[in-house]
Amino acid sequence: MAEKEQLLEEMRKAVIEFDEDRVKELANRWIELGYDANEAIFEGLAAGMEVVGELFAKNEYFVPEVLMCADALYAGLDILRPHIKAEDKTETKGVVVIGTVEGDVHDIGKNLVKLMFEVAGFEVHDLGKDVPLEKFVEEQLRTDADLVCLSAMMTTTMPGMKKVIEMLRERNPNVKIMIGGAPVSEKTVEMYGADATGKDAASALEEAIKMVSSLREMKRRKEI
Amino acid sequence: MRHRVIFQPSGRRGEVEDGKTLREAAIELGVGIEQVCGGNRVCGKCKVQIQEGYFAKFDVRSSMKNLSPMSEEELRHLKDGEVENNFRLACAARIHGDVLVFVPEESRVGGQIVRKAAGEISVELDPAVRKYYVELPRPSLEDPEGDYERLLRALKEQHGLENLSIDYPALKALPQVLREGKWKVTVAVWQGREIIKVEPGYNERTLGIAFDVGTTTVVGYLTDISTGEVLAIDSMMNPQVSFGEDVMARITYAMEHEDGLRRMHEAIIGGINKIVSNLCEKAKVSSDEILELVLVGNTAMHHIYLNIYPEYLGVSPFTPALHRSIDVKARDLKIKAAPGANVHVLPIEAGFVGADNMGVVVALEPEKKDEVHLIIDIGTNGEIVLGNKEKLLSTSCATGPAFEGAQITHGMRAAPGAIERVRIDPETKEPRYKVIGKEEWSDEVKSEARGICGSGIIEVVAEMFKAGIIKNSGVFNMKLETPRLRRGENNQPEYVLAWAEETAIGKDITVTQSDVRAVQLAKGALYTGCKILMKRYGVSEVDRVVLAGAFGSYIDKEASMVIGMFPDCDLSKVVAVGNAAGDGARIALLNRRKREEANRVARRIKYIELTVDPDFQTEFMQAMYFPHMKDKFPHIQHILDRIPK
Repeated sequence: MAEKEQLLEEMRKAVIEFDEDRVKELANRWIELGYDANEAIFEGLAAGMEVVGELFAKNEYFVPEVLMCADALYAGLDILRPHIKAEDKTETKGVVVIGTVEGDVHDIGKNLVKLMFEVAGFEVHDLGKDVPLEKFVEEQLRTDADLVCLSAMMTTTMPGMKKVIEMLRERNPNVKIMIGGAPVSEKTVEMYGADATGKDAASALEEAIKMVSSLREMKRRKEI
Repeated sequence: MRHRVIFQPSGRRGEVEDGKTLREAAIELGVGIEQVCGGNRVCGKCKVQIQEGYFAKFDVRSSMKNLSPMSEEELRHLKDGEVENNFRLACAARIHGDVLVFVPEESRVGGQIVRKAAGEISVELDPAVRKYYVELPRPSLEDPEGDYERLLRALKEQHGLENLSIDYPALKALPQVLREGKWKVTVAVWQGREIIKVEPGYNERTLGIAFDVGTTTVVGYLTDISTGEVLAIDSMMNPQVSFGEDVMARITYAMEHEDGLRRMHEAIIGGINKIVSNLCEKAKVSSDEILELVLVGNTAMHHIYLNIYPEYLGVSPFTPALHRSIDVKARDLKIKAAPGANVHVLPIEAGFVGADNMGVVVALEPEKKDEVHLIIDIGTNGEIVLGNKEKLLSTSCATGPAFEGAQITHGMRAAPGAIERVRIDPETKEPRYKVIGKEEWSDEVKSEARGICGSGIIEVVAEMFKAGIIKNSGVFNMKLETPRLRRGENNQPEYVLAWAEETAIGKDITVTQSDVRAVQLAKGALYTGCKILMKRYGVSEVDRVVLAGAFGSYIDKEASMVIGMFPDCDLSKVVAVGNAAGDGARIALLNRRKREEANRVARRIKYIELTVDPDFQTEFMQAMYFPHMKDKFPHIQHILDRIPK
């Protein structure tokens, strides 16, 4: 038991210190010992990433460090994922469609948010960058996603988000919509009729969890 | 209740208590507005202009309705046209909502130092407009041929000119001019094919103006194109600054306001005409004598001064309306010049690499050199050209306005009072610095600093890194024992560069963690651009780094390499060439074959879009470190070795 706890602690530390090789080593050791892969993902990797989010919020970590932590985390995920038990697989927090809107080819911020969703156990459908606006609507309907996340880094492409929001609302008024990117603010959320934004990846996740649980609650009530 | 107020062009912004005057807001936010009478509504010097509309970048909906109603005193001071154009007196207008305020040049305290002087250029004279003196036989009943045909005959017989046409305004004036000159006239011919002006008597002086329309600064060079002599230079802040600081903000403005393009177009043409008037006044000439103009500018400026809708430049795949050079009559653009004058616009490459960058290429001619050149034009937008006679690649990267002092806590433009040079003692961590407008350094004289300009930002960050105050990741080393290192607003680490009592603003001038982050993003973008071009070209080092643009002349080469703005290179091979875009415009004004060459070279330059490169994210991430996460800098290793651990 002590060894298990120690492994998790070291895994968290290795993610925070963006030591990719060490994460791989620890993940392999975890599997060798026959422990539960899901536990390592949530209590080790994701817990480490949570600390990274805090360091980022405190300005101690910047984009490069977060990206390196992300690399370390993905290296661990690659090893652990194939060992997730079948019963754990179905249990996702929610389904998310994410992408950078048409005309915009910036995706670093979007990738960070996507990463946060993944570590938190969401099922993420990433449409990539420069995504035609209708594609968001199609993908939402196809996956029955709870949440659609739109990203734009340029003031010139930001208005595209408004169009997607209008199309989505028309087809599916209940879907939750989050927008993000350098030029996006609370005021944009209001103007465009979105549901939320976050000032960074960690707060985006926080908002998303709130929205998805309220959405689930709504669905449940309807079913009853 | 507080409202958001943004002052342009300084970019200073903040929240201000309801009911305060614009003047009080300006003082709070450290914006210098003229106030000879001390805010008593007497002198009328503090005229400012309110911009209407929604400004996405600042997230502000600015409107005249957000100010107190126009007062009697204001109406007394405002001239015709000013009231309609949203001018107010800063001392009288009270704030009751969000506003974006433009402070015009005349109302600004301590005008900006415009660093765009005319350098030496060497070019063969072969201007597009040449003048020919002819003497015509008087018509008589025996020889009643028409005036135009008579002129053509004389031009053919005396100068061998054939197949000429005539521009309509020149034709209209012809009968009077010929008779006024007693059949002795000087004819201006454009490109050897069109008569654009006929004047009485002999006048060899042929005037032209080369314009460099920068995102922030516009400069014009009045030149005698028959001799190459620069007669006068004038410059001003680009009046479009009030619509947005950078090209993206301007494009957005055009997209979101129905008459946005028209307003920005009229603003820049107004600015160009103001410069034309100033130049003519300085050189004591008439604008009627100006026969040829050349305009250069980045792609967005190019579209806006041509009144072409710029939206598609601002979204991927960033397609311009055209690449090749074009000629437009000055009268079509409503530019003040001779009625027949032509405006030549250099070709543009792609993305934001526009005619200004072609100016740089025309001036530096990398396509003729063996040495691999890395040409970096640092502005609001960084434009990079890499290559030699084998091939040429180009790209542009969003460096943002950090290098211009914007989006930096105590940033300001290069104007008197701006800290431009910094040295930090690596032992004591104590700084000394120099401000624009004073010869002495801060340890010799009270600095009266107001803020930090772009070159100062680069130096202070380089010095902080060299002194171990910030680590190579950009994070502050809070373990150091010095009163200059502290936590400020939002618990954010900051370094005090100037104590309140030394300054002219009565508060400490600091460099915060966010400021360092802004520099990391800007320099990271620039370095990534250089690196990806080098990779695509297939070189691991370059023979020469050329810093183009006025800013390049003022930054310290060593400091910029220490923070890793561009890849390692022998410092003696890093050269600043000043305003090469302006030089290129002047060259194109003096030599028409260079215009042809520019079209050929523009087609050869291959544009690379950085963000779609598979390595972009990794490269950008690594380039945000000082000087770089992985790349080596042998030429400054001795400096890096001295950094306290």
